[in-house]
Amino acid sequence: MELDFLREGLVIWDGAMGTVLQRRGLPPGGKPELLNLTNPELPRSIHREYIEAGSRIICANTFGANALKLAGTGCAVDRAVFAAVAIARDAAAGTGAKTALDVGPLGELLEPLGTLTFERAYELFKEVVTAGERAGADLIAIETMTDLYEAKAALLAAKENTALPVFAAMSFERNGRTFTGCTIPSMARTLEGLGADAVGLNCSLGPDLLLPLVRELCENTRLPVIVKPNAGLPDPATGEYAMGPEEFVRAMLPLVEAGASVVGGCCGTSPDYIRALARALEGKKPAPRTCRSAGFVCSAMTPCFLDGVRVIGERINPTGKKRFQQALLEGDLDYILDAAVEQEDAGADILDVNVGHPGVDETVMLPRVVKKLQSAVTLPLQLDSTNPAALEAALRVYNGKAAVNSVNGERAALERILPIVKKYGAAVVGLCLDERGIPPTAEGRVEIARRILDAALSYGIPAEDVWIDCLTLTVSAQQDQALETLRAVRMAREELGLPVVLGVSNISFGLPNRAAVTRSFLTQALGAGLTLPILNPNQREMMDAVAAFRVLSGQDAGCRDYIRRFADAAPVPASPAPAGGLALEEAVARGLDGDAGRLAREALQSQDGLSLVENRLIPALDKVGADYEAGRAFLPQLLSAAQAAQAVFEAVKASLAERGGTPVRKGRFAIATVKGDIHDIGKNIVRTVMENYGYEAVDLGRDVPPEVILEAVREGDIRLVGLSALMTTTLPAMEETIKLLRTLPRPPAVWVGGAVVTPEHAARMGADYYARDARQSVEIARKVLGP
Amino acid sequence: MREALRYLGVRGEPDPALLARLSAMADKLTRTVEPRWAWRVFHVKHTFDFVELERAGLVLSGGMAKTMLADCAQAVLLACTLGAGFEAMLRGEQARGMAGAALLDACGSAWVEAGCGGAEEEISARFPGLYRTDRFSPGYGDLPLDLQRDICALLDAPRRLGVQVTDSLLMNPSKTVTAVIGLSEKPQPARVRGCAFCDLRENCQYRKGGTTCGA
Repeated sequence: MELDFLREGLVIWDGAMGTVLQRRGLPPGGKPELLNLTNPELPRSIHREYIEAGSRIICANTFGANALKLAGTGCAVDRAVFAAVAIARDAAAGTGAKTALDVGPLGELLEPLGTLTFERAYELFKEVVTAGERAGADLIAIETMTDLYEAKAALLAAKENTALPVFAAMSFERNGRTFTGCTIPSMARTLEGLGADAVGLNCSLGPDLLLPLVRELCENTRLPVIVKPNAGLPDPATGEYAMGPEEFVRAMLPLVEAGASVVGGCCGTSPDYIRALARALEGKKPAPRTCRSAGFVCSAMTPCFLDGVRVIGERINPTGKKRFQQALLEGDLDYILDAAVEQEDAGADILDVNVGHPGVDETVMLPRVVKKLQSAVTLPLQLDSTNPAALEAALRVYNGKAAVNSVNGERAALERILPIVKKYGAAVVGLCLDERGIPPTAEGRVEIARRILDAALSYGIPAEDVWIDCLTLTVSAQQDQALETLRAVRMAREELGLPVVLGVSNISFGLPNRAAVTRSFLTQALGAGLTLPILNPNQREMMDAVAAFRVLSGQDAGCRDYIRRFADAAPVPASPAPAGGLALEEAVARGLDGDAGRLAREALQSQDGLSLVENRLIPALDKVGADYEAGRAFLPQLLSAAQAAQAVFEAVKASLAERGGTPVRKGRFAIATVKGDIHDIGKNIVRTVMENYGYEAVDLGRDVPPEVILEAVREGDIRLVGLSALMTTTLPAMEETIKLLRTLPRPPAVWVGGAVVTPEHAARMGADYYARDARQSVEIARKVLGP
Repeated sequence: MREALRYLGVRGEPDPALLARLSAMADKLTRTVEPRWAWRVFHVKHTFDFVELERAGLVLSGGMAKTMLADCAQAVLLACTLGAGFEAMLRGEQARGMAGAALLDACGSAWVEAGCGGAEEEISARFPGLYRTDRFSPGYGDLPLDLQRDICALLDAPRRLGVQVTDSLLMNPSKTVTAVIGLSEKPQPARVRGCAFCDLRENCQYRKGGTTCGA
């Protein structure tokens, strides 16, 4: 479809379908999509009224026409979509109005909030959009999304499987976020990067409350901006929406002046509203707009504008780290998550993610790690790999706008990586080297940078998404290159105006007191124009240097961030116990994980890991456990002790990875929240406490079907299985799982627990043990797996 | 805070270090996450066997609803949630350690209850002449749990609050409450809150200690 009409003038869209249908007799809770088959005249007449009122685009009645929402109705997706699009096209015939395939949320929440996977969501949307194209829709309108991840799945499905233009609108609350926390810049720039043809806001609020949001949106996209608000908010006493047509239109005009150019209505509006709107906008042109042009990356919840220095954390990288390598080989994603959380807390703005190591399939591991990280960390990610398949797999499942690290000036590398960067709307780091190596002069490096920029532009990647890495060389090996790198930074900033990246830590390799050299180099590079230092944010002095630079360069207005940084840190309290006086046992009991880790490392100089755990750690944990049972300590203290124990185990593992020795392995247990149960904090508490007694957990997750538990037990020959259930409605799933496990030739022992589970339930459903809490679970493990 | 301590099972005078951590967590939560709610008023039709909400076509079966709404011509359906923002925060805390996560979880339970309180104040302000019954929820007494699904549908909760009810009747996001509140012209006695109405009264650790949990 030609999209020229979008640029020529204001485009009037239609208003509500659902609430109009309800007013005309659809019972509350009834499915509007079924009317396409049972009463086609009703949606047809509504489309006609909208077109007569002035709508140039109408939405077919397909908002909920997906396999999840139609389940149990006996109506296939194809059938509902074909009927709806035919009705709309029929109504539009001869009028010039365009028919949009309306695509709403699937009705189930995606991971990590729900259990629907991104891949499954993609497939469900693919079924809808391909049916829509075959049925003859002119465009696809994704709308009322509150989860950026779901909007991305729908947009990707549309772009990859149809040739239709795609409009995408999400619903925001007054605070400028969707229910899932997505911000307006994150939405606008992620969806624009993925190839949407227009982006916007619909539903949730009336036009009166949308003005600041529309302004923010217009600053964050170059695309036409859609606004389809509700007719105000519904009255709780009557269910009626608050605004009449005139009031609605009065509040719409400022939105158009702010830059919205595709306008209509959502819940509570009707053809009368659209008629009034079309009349008020007659002869008006779209308002001029300016888009904020700073570089940008984001997660759904955290936008990151590159309008000042932004720190990229370098710690998620196995190079030279035995413990990290081991975690990668064992698929221990929790360890990697710890490294991410630590950097987030230390103040990093972006996290570099590198999982390249011999024996690790990056194509599988990189997307897995991305999913894990974005479930618990809100920072944007920079995907660090030279493997195009791994990058594509990871960019696909990334929820936001990522950066790719990296390409270089070599033609083949550019041709491999840039199409992927463009397709997923990522930013890209360009290394100033090519097939001939690293140019020794700043001029040579900037020449390559220019070549990379030109190549990126030729693929349609905007300049602000091209970041240049001027390359830090080790000063102890190539002393003259330190100044050359600084000169290249200055030239890249001044001549190309691009964001500049440097991995600063490299400078001091091989020298004593590395921090002094690194910090000095960092300060000089920032002065020369470095915007994106890649460094270890856990080194306080580096972050202090960045904070100081932000003050000196005027980026930290009023020195506010700097003062806050040191106001919090000022009264550094003395260690709670006299130096040297704190015993490992006490550190564990009091939940001082930093001290526990340090004391364990010291103890491991003279004691092996196994005896440290058996003779010191476990007795300390038992003491807290006894206090807990006696009501002298409570759950948070029990868990703090477990966390401190975790620090001890981490020290033992690190020492094993470095020096070898006998691993501390007691028995293994599997643990799961049963099918139907999606909340798992209780299970996670039990797992944490048991692991810190040295038992090895096979955590099967939440909402786990009985067959999956059976398979895991069979495969791992697991002797103890813990099942958790939260609701009376999921107890049958627990019972079913136990029955299934009993069919094994050597059934494992099963213990059960959870909010609604009682010892009587446990006995009735054939469980071997009932545990009231984490502490009792440990006692059960001792009985079954040995102390 | 008191409520959060109760959810954590803390009895007696809490340890000051624990109290400090809990209060820091409560601050962080209330700064980041606001409870949101939606409610709607329906007329109540009393029949011999059951209570029905008119226009909603919703039957509230069982003795619980019958007793609670006995004097009421209208009833409010309420849903209140901390939303996905709380879940994201809880995942973040779990990655940082389960102790903090357990504190946050307890604070969350208290905070969504506070949200329900806020909604009730809003309802009272809207109906100044009427008295509210205690708030009661699906799963209390014999009020069927599957009403959660109907209440969410009638309030359009998926779209208005981002709340879903799973097939196994779990609320997602987890810190979500659905409830019924009767509106009457007569003052309403406490019927749900307090020890006399609590299923746990026989084994309650607070009662054994000579106090109450305060709910």
